[in-house]
Amino acid sequence: MPESLSPDVVTFAPPLRDLGVDSALICSDLGYRHGAPDMIKELIDEVLPLVASRIDLRCGFRILPAESVKLTTGIASVQGVDFSTGPIISHELKHSTSVAVFAASAGPRLEHWAGEVMASGDMMRGYIIDAIASEYVSMAAEWLEHRVEEEAGKRGWQITNRYSPGHCDWPVSEQHKLFSFLPEHFCGITLTESALMLPIKSISGIIGLGRDVKRGAFQCTLCELKDCFQRRDEPVTAVERT
Amino acid sequence: MNEILDSLTRCVERGKVNIKSPYPPDLKGQDGADEFARKAVEAGIPPQDILSNGLIVGMQRVGTRFRNKEIFVPDVLMAAKAMAAAMEHLKPFFKTDALKHKGTIVIGTVLGDLHDIGKKLVSMVIEGAGWEVIDLGTDVSPEKFLKAVDEHPGCVVGLSALLTTTMVNMETTVKHVKGKYPNIKVIIGGAPVTEEFALKIGADGYSGDPQGAVEFLNSRCSTN
Repeated sequence: MPESLSPDVVTFAPPLRDLGVDSALICSDLGYRHGAPDMIKELIDEVLPLVASRIDLRCGFRILPAESVKLTTGIASVQGVDFSTGPIISHELKHSTSVAVFAASAGPRLEHWAGEVMASGDMMRGYIIDAIASEYVSMAAEWLEHRVEEEAGKRGWQITNRYSPGHCDWPVSEQHKLFSFLPEHFCGITLTESALMLPIKSISGIIGLGRDVKRGAFQCTLCELKDCFQRRDEPVTAVERT
Repeated sequence: MNEILDSLTRCVERGKVNIKSPYPPDLKGQDGADEFARKAVEAGIPPQDILSNGLIVGMQRVGTRFRNKEIFVPDVLMAAKAMAAAMEHLKPFFKTDALKHKGTIVIGTVLGDLHDIGKKLVSMVIEGAGWEVIDLGTDVSPEKFLKAVDEHPGCVVGLSALLTTTMVNMETTVKHVKGKYPNIKVIIGGAPVTEEFALKIGADGYSGDPQGAVEFLNSRCSTN
């Protein structure tokens, strides 16, 4: 059930079973697109339920009022706050009259656990925990995008893809501006001076909203960082099954 | 003699830690890096040969295959574990002149950045290449890097960052360290980092993968 913090801010604890995080997905994320060694699969199968019992997944969004966005080349101005999103994202946000500012986090316990396991010398297990946590947050953001789409639909709006600071020349430093639109400690997230989100397993960003906006090409195909470690070849579709 | 070293190389490359290790399945029940390293020492093979012609060859193959995306992080971690098991048998020789590291690298994630895994992975591959690694951890200040350099004269410095907001702290660190030690070599790496950036901030090298860091160290910094 969503929790309303104010009329335009909602948070969720997304049901883990709806996120489609399974061994095959994790193996693929680790690079094994054509089958992982049995030992890796067995370790993932062993760790997955343990992660599920320790994750504190939270996500949420705030939809800003209509006519709150002005777009110029490379700049998305939201209620007078200028985001240097760069030409690619500002183009993708074209025709947006509003945005949803969103965030999702896996909570602090998993990071501590992964760190402890690695410090004990079991790098492999720690790395698998870390990878599963990343996947849960990523899929929670995907799940949240559908909730934004539902909410936007009630207002007769479409949505764009979601975009985050760090994507396509949008400086990470603008996390501070982004979080200024959200309540303090939204979904348990705090920012360091260097704009690092804590817990690290967190995602934030914006989604453009408007009657005439379009979902553009998949985000990674827009980006010029061809060797990015988070690059995906194609959209993740697991959540679309829900 | 070469058979033992070849087996040792193969065990590191395949991530076969010891006889009890079930991985990889086709080597189940067979000796691993642990046993072959012990056999090599017992056979009187010089420790430097065991390291250079057995273990390092295996890790070099791992680094190259990882760069070529033929294997992935878990495979590197298994190889590093096998390497570590073998190194236990060689550790005593570092206390004598029988075995020497190629040099020392002081490595850390720069101030403001808490990302650790990539840096750890690079550290493991560098260690597997015969270097001593002093890992300062994450969120490391320029002052802490300098203190470590003071304590390890002649070392190389390795800086990691995963955010565009923290990679700027690489420049501060390079200036701080080179201000006192102008000839010290600094190599940088991390997702947002480029060769162009390395040049701009006065670093001596950049690598996009662990093996590249090893190649930089071996070609430009090795003293042995």
